[in-house]
Amino acid sequence: MAVLALDASVEADRSVLGGKAWGIVRMLALGVPVPPAFVLTTDECARYHELGGVVPEDVLQALPAAMAALEEATGTTFGGGERPLLVSVRSGAPTSMPGMMDTVLNLGMTPQVQEALAEITGDRAFAADVARRFAEQFEHVVGTPPPADPWEQLHAAMTAVFGSWRSRRAIAYRKDRGLPEAGGTAVTVQAMVFGNLDDASGTGVLFSRDPLTGAPEPYGEYLPRGQGEDVVSGSHDPLPLTALADRAPDLHRELLELAERLERDAADVQDIEFTVQSGRLWLLQTRSAKRSATAAVRLAVLLQREGLISPAEALQRVTPGQVAALLRMQVDPAARAGARLLASGRPAAPGVVSGVIVTDVDEAEDRALDGEAVILARPTTNPDDVHAMAAVNGIVTEVGGATSHAAVVSRELDTACVVGCGLGTVTALAGRIVTLDADSGELLEGTLPTITPSEDEDPDLARMKAWAVEAGGTGHTLAELLRSCAQVP
Amino acid sequence: MPSTLLPTLQAVRLKGRTTAADVAGATGSDEASAAQALAVLAADGLLREANGKHRLTPEGKERLGQWLAEERAAVDQAALGELYEQFDPHNTTLKELAGTWQQRDGEPNDHSDAAYDGRVLDGIAGLHAAFAPFVDRLVGLAPRLAPYPARFEAALGRIRAGEHAYFLRPVIDSYHTVWFELHEELIGLLGRSRQDEALAGRAE
Repeated sequence: MAVLALDASVEADRSVLGGKAWGIVRMLALGVPVPPAFVLTTDECARYHELGGVVPEDVLQALPAAMAALEEATGTTFGGGERPLLVSVRSGAPTSMPGMMDTVLNLGMTPQVQEALAEITGDRAFAADVARRFAEQFEHVVGTPPPADPWEQLHAAMTAVFGSWRSRRAIAYRKDRGLPEAGGTAVTVQAMVFGNLDDASGTGVLFSRDPLTGAPEPYGEYLPRGQGEDVVSGSHDPLPLTALADRAPDLHRELLELAERLERDAADVQDIEFTVQSGRLWLLQTRSAKRSATAAVRLAVLLQREGLISPAEALQRVTPGQVAALLRMQVDPAARAGARLLASGRPAAPGVVSGVIVTDVDEAEDRALDGEAVILARPTTNPDDVHAMAAVNGIVTEVGGATSHAAVVSRELDTACVVGCGLGTVTALAGRIVTLDADSGELLEGTLPTITPSEDEDPDLARMKAWAVEAGGTGHTLAELLRSCAQVP
Repeated sequence: MPSTLLPTLQAVRLKGRTTAADVAGATGSDEASAAQALAVLAADGLLREANGKHRLTPEGKERLGQWLAEERAAVDQAALGELYEQFDPHNTTLKELAGTWQQRDGEPNDHSDAAYDGRVLDGIAGLHAAFAPFVDRLVGLAPRLAPYPARFEAALGRIRAGEHAYFLRPVIDSYHTVWFELHEELIGLLGRSRQDEALAGRAE
């Protein structure tokens, strides 16, 4: 089957459907409202590459019927008509990996479609906004300006998705992880819903529990009149989810109920993307949520207590590294609450240290060697900074990311480091006494008291320790026990 | 200016604090010659010595700037600019390998999985095979960089022999240390600044 309409009866597995389509089928099976969609399976990607970069003929022939099903379900027409159909095109590898093509939204846009959208919504600005977003995103993602013809747009986007399977980054990633080179990425084509349609529309993300603290409450953000990527990309400031509860309490209740259903089915905390179009709720995606070390421990114990997972499964949800992170020295929460935030960036190498900010490398090295606690602040680091980096207690930079020189070197030196705080931020603090929290990525004013948690005093960690012992683990610390449990098949 | 003085002064700058042995390694000379060059530079007030290690004086920094500017004027900037564009993909690969080596699924790599580490080590070998011809072309444009190929080979040899610290460890002449110094040379030879390159996403 070249092109598969997605409904609750689809039984193909994840390796064939790709993660995106597989998630859609799972949601449909649970009665969750999902915009209609079809998928070109990962097999078609493999065939595309076998044919030397050509979309198989039977796929092309099956597309009009698949699109017609979306048209029928939504009462719209692809590429024209009074009520035009726009679609999203997404890549879906069996496991998520970097290098895959990003999503293209609003595909099917033409000047006529823009006119029709303006007509039915009575909102020319909305229609123009959708057209602009489409043209910008298509060019950014596919690499060429969009063709005029909607079917050619679809063909170009599909080709870009299939092609991205063989991108340099994707190949390198699979090699590093030992993932198979055979197979491919699926293309999911889904009818668009518009969070930017009117005042009763919006888009958001919802975590079924708090992924940072592990608190049992849902955590989410909502952006009225926003579309898909706006929330995720951080280009707009979304509101807390309570904004949705205030505006539309029924929708908010429905959303939380659906999140709980998905969480129970997966037996894990879910990260859900949703859109409200003119007062109607649609879920676009769900997946197991990435979480902090703290949340991993708290949630594993909580889900076990709620009967969703067994103690053995709870142990598998936590890694030795997460336990180590939880037990690291940290800023006393009470002191942190009252502390002034001076700058923040990206955590690069963990640790919490206090000291004086020095910007000159020679001065930093001399003062550090004299026994003073020094935090070196630089716009970026150079080779000639390394001698100072090796002497100081902490490092903070203004420009650069997780693979910058400062990040790589500080991890080798095991020195706390935060990178990318923004030009002119940290070097302006020369002479100030600060506390660098390289776990949260924050630079706080003053020398703050720290605490070092103990795994026997923390009830959740103590409980996991007991489970690990019962499961036949050996070792003194929880990290050792977890490692030994992981060896047991 | 005798031909050993600029390489020596630049080596001291890039290393920050350095010994005659380090300078010999970086300039491809022997320790006695390096010590002699260091003594000449120190006598001119361009270096000072503390605890057996040399560092630049403000005068040394200024003089180095002049010498590098003279060198830059003699280098084919158009050809170098073209070559620099080819550096970027190699640099991205190195960064990916460094990230994969140091971290696994967002946590420090504890190096307990030999198969995982082995894939990164294969990646380093693959990177070097692709990168070595680039370095040779660069040396063709800027002869002072002639010691670099041997420095990369030496680091790679150590890694292959199981001394994995020679991939990323700072201060020692690890593959990453040599790489980063070469990158600094490239930026300098083009008359650009690291900060601008970092903002452009090419040199963080």
